[in-house]
Amino acid sequence: MKSGSSDVLKEFSAEQVEKLDGIIARYRGKPGGLIPVLEEAQMVLDYLPVPVQKRIADGLNLPLAQVYGVVTFYSFFTMKPRGRHTLRVCLGTACYVRGGKSIAENIVKEYKVGEGETTPDRRFTYETVRCLGACGLAPVIVVNENVHGRVKTQKLKSVLDEYQ
Amino acid sequence: MSKLKIEDLKKIKEKVHSQTALREGGQRAKVTVHMGTCGIASGAREVLNALMRAIEETNATDVIVTTSGCMGLCSREPLVTVELLGKEPIKYEKMDEMKMRQVFKRHVLEGEIQTPFVLAKGAEVVR
Amino acid sequence: MKVFRSHLLVCGGTGCHASGSLAVKKALVDEISGRGLAEEIKIVETGCNGFCAMGPILVVYPEGIIYMNVRTEDVPVLVEEHFIKGRPVERLFYKEPGKEDRIPSMQEIPFFALQDLRVLRNRGLIDPENIEEYIARDGYAGMAKALTEMTPEQIVQEVLKSGLRGRGGAGFPTGLKWQFAQRSPGDVKYVLCNADEGDPGAFMDRSVLEADPHAVLEGMVIAAKAIGSKHGYIYCRAEYPLAIHRLNVALGQAREMGLLGKDILGTGFDFDIEIYQGAGAFVCGEETALMTSIEGKRGMPRPRPPFPAVAGLWAKPSVLNNVETLANIGQIILRGSEWHASVGTEKSKGTKVFALTGDVNNVGLVEVPMGTTLGSIIYDIGGGIPGGKKFKAAQLGGPSGGCIPVEHLNAAVDYEKVAELGAIMGSGGLIVMNEDKCAVDMARFFMEFCKDESCGKCTPCREGTQRMLDILTNICKGKGREGDIELLESMATVIKDSALCGLGQTAPNPVLSTIRYFRKEYEEHIRDKKCRAAVCSALFRSPCQHTCPIGMDIPAYIALIRDDRLEDAYKVMMKTNPFPSVCGRVCDHQCQTKCRRGLLDEPVAIKFLKRYISDNAPRPQVKPVGITRREKIAVVGAGPAGLTCARDLALRGYGVTVFEELPAPGGMLSWGIPSYRLPRAVLDGEIDDIRKLGVEIRCNTRVGREIPWARIDEDFDCVYLAPGAHKSQRLGVEGEDLKGVWGGVEFLRDYNGDEEGWRTGKKSLGSRVAVIGGGNSAIDAARTALRLGAEVTILYRRLREDMPAAAEEILAAEHEGIKIEYLIAPLRVVGSSGRVTGVECLRQKLGDFDSSGRKRPVAIPGSEFTLSVDTVIAAIGQTPDLSFVPAESGVKVNKWSCFDVRDDIPSQTSSAKFFAGGDAVTGPSTVIKAIAAGHGAAEDIDGWIRKKNGEPAWVPPSEEQIHIPFVVDEDTEECPQARMPELEAEFRRKNFAEVELGYKKDQAVKEATRCLRCDAEI
Repeated sequence: MKSGSSDVLKEFSAEQVEKLDGIIARYRGKPGGLIPVLEEAQMVLDYLPVPVQKRIADGLNLPLAQVYGVVTFYSFFTMKPRGRHTLRVCLGTACYVRGGKSIAENIVKEYKVGEGETTPDRRFTYETVRCLGACGLAPVIVVNENVHGRVKTQKLKSVLDEYQ
Repeated sequence: MSKLKIEDLKKIKEKVHSQTALREGGQRAKVTVHMGTCGIASGAREVLNALMRAIEETNATDVIVTTSGCMGLCSREPLVTVELLGKEPIKYEKMDEMKMRQVFKRHVLEGEIQTPFVLAKGAEVVR
Repeated sequence: MKVFRSHLLVCGGTGCHASGSLAVKKALVDEISGRGLAEEIKIVETGCNGFCAMGPILVVYPEGIIYMNVRTEDVPVLVEEHFIKGRPVERLFYKEPGKEDRIPSMQEIPFFALQDLRVLRNRGLIDPENIEEYIARDGYAGMAKALTEMTPEQIVQEVLKSGLRGRGGAGFPTGLKWQFAQRSPGDVKYVLCNADEGDPGAFMDRSVLEADPHAVLEGMVIAAKAIGSKHGYIYCRAEYPLAIHRLNVALGQAREMGLLGKDILGTGFDFDIEIYQGAGAFVCGEETALMTSIEGKRGMPRPRPPFPAVAGLWAKPSVLNNVETLANIGQIILRGSEWHASVGTEKSKGTKVFALTGDVNNVGLVEVPMGTTLGSIIYDIGGGIPGGKKFKAAQLGGPSGGCIPVEHLNAAVDYEKVAELGAIMGSGGLIVMNEDKCAVDMARFFMEFCKDESCGKCTPCREGTQRMLDILTNICKGKGREGDIELLESMATVIKDSALCGLGQTAPNPVLSTIRYFRKEYEEHIRDKKCRAAVCSALFRSPCQHTCPIGMDIPAYIALIRDDRLEDAYKVMMKTNPFPSVCGRVCDHQCQTKCRRGLLDEPVAIKFLKRYISDNAPRPQVKPVGITRREKIAVVGAGPAGLTCARDLALRGYGVTVFEELPAPGGMLSWGIPSYRLPRAVLDGEIDDIRKLGVEIRCNTRVGREIPWARIDEDFDCVYLAPGAHKSQRLGVEGEDLKGVWGGVEFLRDYNGDEEGWRTGKKSLGSRVAVIGGGNSAIDAARTALRLGAEVTILYRRLREDMPAAAEEILAAEHEGIKIEYLIAPLRVVGSSGRVTGVECLRQKLGDFDSSGRKRPVAIPGSEFTLSVDTVIAAIGQTPDLSFVPAESGVKVNKWSCFDVRDDIPSQTSSAKFFAGGDAVTGPSTVIKAIAAGHGAAEDIDGWIRKKNGEPAWVPPSEEQIHIPFVVDEDTEECPQARMPELEAEFRRKNFAEVELGYKKDQAVKEATRCLRCDAEI
């Protein structure tokens, strides 16, 4: 079955697939091993698309439905690749009128990413939010957990450059 | 390390007390950087690095640097405790790299407490 | 060798470099050579001075002056002043690090002193990654005792006797849990540690794991011995990487030393622990869900029974304890159950760790004996609420808990008391909320959390949380309907009774507890579309306008100031406020407390801007309105409430007559507030405008004296009673009737009615005056007495921060030289031959909390002292004087001497044609609330008349459209409020000239520019 699945796992490197198989092997037969496998697999692969789940299900001798059920239950697991950083732009009223809108437009243009999407280089996952209650600092962007206030379009790049 | 027996617990206790005690001619000062998640989030790691660099620059050899957990007062983090031989420990609040450098040079090396940054002196009492 | 006049040493240490010393040095070189001083002054870069936090540092020799925090922009001034004019620049001087500052010890800081460290006993003292430091503090000694000296039964008995209850939330006795598991048959049993701390605002488990991980391991080994287990799991959330790291280090060291694993300490006992990382599901904090999760499945709860003690993980007997519970165990075994039970309450022994967060000064981790009062935790340990805001409620127990409001600050926090108040202890998250938090929004927030985290297994929780969230969201958006509150309550009961696990059963708690304590806020959201905290932004355009009792369009008139269209601005104000120039001076400006600009630096000075408009634009012309209605209206009392009502009714075409007892209209505005705060010309102008509309004001006419009640009843179709609250409350002490004792408002009224007599010395207070009280009228009386030449002392029974008077008034009084003594209450007024000679006082200390959230003053016995004075002014409160209302009128007066009004028509009294409002209904309140009452009454009166006549409701005439410009700056620079120019204190204390001088144009425009225009709609 190994040869067959390498096709669907083509978006991952051989090295990653090898690591995945190593993780599966370590937990094979161990009760309750599924969640640790998924956690470690996601560390290596960044996300867990269905083909990966299938490989894990086969490797641990579990039904795919159970693996899928667990992946979708816990918020820690993701089936879509996420960026290394989460970039959120506040579009509450205060931010909107103070240039939040142009920041949002700028991000879409410069980083080639739509709302709710991840940049092709997986650097950012981009989201917009309604008022973060930091209106005094408008316009506000939040990268991961860090709030950056008074971000002008010209300043945007230098702020985001901190996050590679 | 070999497995401990009951009586070893007491020996360790005595050993640690003698090792960590400050004394003439030995370790003269102990600086504790409090590093829980909150401390780290407010910059404790940068403070620790600044301290290590300052020690390196001055070649001080009689200062123990240690880390510990959260002191509980998250809104005043990062917190740093400085204890000099024969003196009460001093807790500094809201530290940053510059304050750490200053506290190191003027308090740890020269013995002058940097009052503006001090939270309190002494230690918590455990009943 | 060249000789220089001065040497200028620039610190070139790493620290100063980082803070910009190179740029400063360059600027100095340029400046000095630019001014031709290069031959006289030598600049030298030196090594580190050690004042790194205050860099860049300059030292000038030969004077030896040290300058700190020097910026490049300081350089020109510094060179000019110091090197050319020879005047050192003091503002940049090094301040000796407070030589006289006494450093407090940890025991003098309430945050630390009031805590009782048991679970947290090693915090900040040991290196959590060094097992030896833990051992050195008696670590693993409890385990050693349990393994060598105690049987499993003895361990269970000891824990039972200690009274320890589960610290994870429900408070189930730990010993009992262990006993069940111990008695369950089976070779394989598990000890589990619940470190899946997921409540928003809770972080005590994380902190314990990070600071003292071995304490948890030690507790688990003891539990293992008690129940006969060989294997344990710690279920820790993946969001706590540092805790997991430190646990791993701790496990490694413990195994290596033989404190875990095979043959622990050579006793033959085997036990080992594995860490299991939670993958982000709140429900896994529930015990059966947690076990399902360790088994590698979706973490859903299972029905109980069977209980985990019988069939838990992998269907084997298991005990699950949370981190804090386990961290207690080692010390209990080592020091004995009595030691543990020596603190706490009858049913809750030991200490509890709280994570104190939210609107509180000291955010942090707090360990206190069970039974410590909530007020002590928040105020004494937590240091109170920041920014002068008021405490509203504390949320205890996160999304499964409830809130405890201000009236229960004296509650002794333990499992029973907290449950009685509708919250739960939970894991100990204590979120403090100030008055800027909305109760409905909080409930919505927690319900959203529970809905998101509902695992979906049982219908009541899955569907019920969604439905409740929908209702709450609608209420917050202004789409609430009558009956929603009752619907929420009944759904809550269903979910509580039928959900499978703790998450679902407790999910409605925040809703129930906010309804219990803040039902009125729910009703305001639903009926009045009002959010008093100005949080639910769908209900309003801007927080300031929403907070103003009369809904003034604040952003509009501020925008017009920026555009220099003051006439239009005045018109905008007059739409809702007949007294803008009065409010521009004496309003309590609640609008500013909710101004979003305040989150950045300071709120916009709305009050001062309002005054700027009325000072600088002509008052809009007023034309008489013809009387088109046959009903005649009488208004009793020409204060702000009465006059506003009269004006509104005149505008609706009614003939209105106002009866005023005193010689001039204005009520408290004329007769209470002194002219240095509110010049009479200003007030008179605005009252004249009301006359011009056609309102007749008859002064010197007291109902029941100059005109009988029966006449009014006969001649008028409807009567609005707004006589205010013009009678001072009595002190209730001996000697109150001596000559020289004044009531606050009586004194102010007398002064305002006979300025001449007082100023010429015909009337006098004597040379020493004591004013008793802490409200605005106490300050008014004191500042007036001072201006009459007396030496004035204010005596107040609480502390400054508790004074109801406006902070700026208190400050102004102090500037003028008035002494304010706190924590002092009068015991009796002493006198001789019928005249006051002094006031005997008793010092007070603060006791428990009253229902307003302030600490109650308690007399200190034996602390009597006498202050010798010539006059005592009692300004401790006012009540209405409603003696003119005949008992047979049917108009009911309640026990506070105020009018009783109806619930449905809030200004109608118990007798249909009599309406009432202002201070005579509410007790002493603010000008703006009186104006609001007047507006409301006019609406109610007109509505009542029209309804009676079967007429359609009044339609206001179309208003002049005023275009409001919308200009905002992309850049918001931090900048504080423009300061109000004032007369010098030295000068103003001698006369009654207006103290505040008003903004100049540039100040006003600059201040107007600070508005963030929250009203903008896009």
